[in-house]
Amino acid sequence: MAETFMAYPELRHPFEVTPIHPEGSTTVLYQGKTITLSETGQGEDLLINPEDLTRINGFELKPEGACYQDMCIPIKDDLLIDDDGKQWFNLTAFADLLEQPYVADLEAGAWSFSEAPAKRQSMMVNAVAPDIELTDRQGKVIRLPDLKGKKALIVTWSSW
Amino acid sequence: MPVWQQVYEEINDPDFVIICVAEDTGGEAVAGPIFDAANPTYIQIVDENHIVSSSFNFVNVPSAAWIDEEGRIVRVDEGTYSKIHQIGDGEEAITFGSDVYTPALKDWVEKGAESEFVQSAATVTGNLREHSFDQSKADAAFRLANLFRAHGQAEQAEQYWDMAQTLNPDSINFIRQNLTLSEEGSAGETFMKVMGDYVSSGKDYYRPMDL
Repeated sequence: MAETFMAYPELRHPFEVTPIHPEGSTTVLYQGKTITLSETGQGEDLLINPEDLTRINGFELKPEGACYQDMCIPIKDDLLIDDDGKQWFNLTAFADLLEQPYVADLEAGAWSFSEAPAKRQSMMVNAVAPDIELTDRQGKVIRLPDLKGKKALIVTWSSW
Repeated sequence: MPVWQQVYEEINDPDFVIICVAEDTGGEAVAGPIFDAANPTYIQIVDENHIVSSSFNFVNVPSAAWIDEEGRIVRVDEGTYSKIHQIGDGEEAITFGSDVYTPALKDWVEKGAESEFVQSAATVTGNLREHSFDQSKADAAFRLANLFRAHGQAEQAEQYWDMAQTLNPDSINFIRQNLTLSEEGSAGETFMKVMGDYVSSGKDYYRPMDL
């Protein structure tokens, strides 16, 4: 096989340099989504407005805890922080609690979260299709759970 | 991709969909023309961040899952070629792929849960490779690298791609994606060495297909 099979070195870094957060905002990556937070707390942990939690990872804050579908994680005191009258939710401490991996580049203000194992349990235990959201080439959002009622083949390939 | 279009047309069932996902950080520039050449009518996704591979813990492409009307995975496989492919002619020819997958798929679409190819939930979950903390963290690093790439920040992109490969050295997806965006290409000397190491260490490359 030719050594240059599927080689696109010109596509390795084809983009112009642009700042990741031009207005001093914070970028959160989660399951293919890019979420921009205009306001976060100070420090090395990622402190978010509690109302931003749902649009990041689907969890909702309720009296019984942070809830996703029928799962509720009790919120300990160190997850909700009062800072001079302003309340923050410590997203990285929550991730640590869930054993959810993440990688941060503090200089760029960018945080990338992998999926939380607890949200994978229904797949790993009961073979339920993962709750992922994909955007097709026409810009339409496809959520796997929304395909109910049809049989689906999901198949990966690549140009390489 | 033309063969999946052919399969889709042959099945021709309004209650069956194919979601065809290109695991390509190169994006529309590399995957788009290949899709377009197939004149596809199925759902086409360009998955620059390899979300689908990591969600299903697929080590490489092509891999696939069948999802039934209730949203349950009823079969999962790696190495899901739609037919036997041939590159080159005569003694130089290289063949790969298999002709067993497509007939099994058609059987399932026709018979549903009665198909002999449907797997139990226990078999499906047994076949899904559970990821370690570090393997999962590699996904976060890979996506952070792609963010930097999209913003033209090559040094940081390389740093986090390296982190992803270090955290999950067994991911053929990451290895080949990286090599594809290099002078060497995805099937050069480095990849052949990786393959050799896989075989000699007795690791699964594609999990054997039980068909």
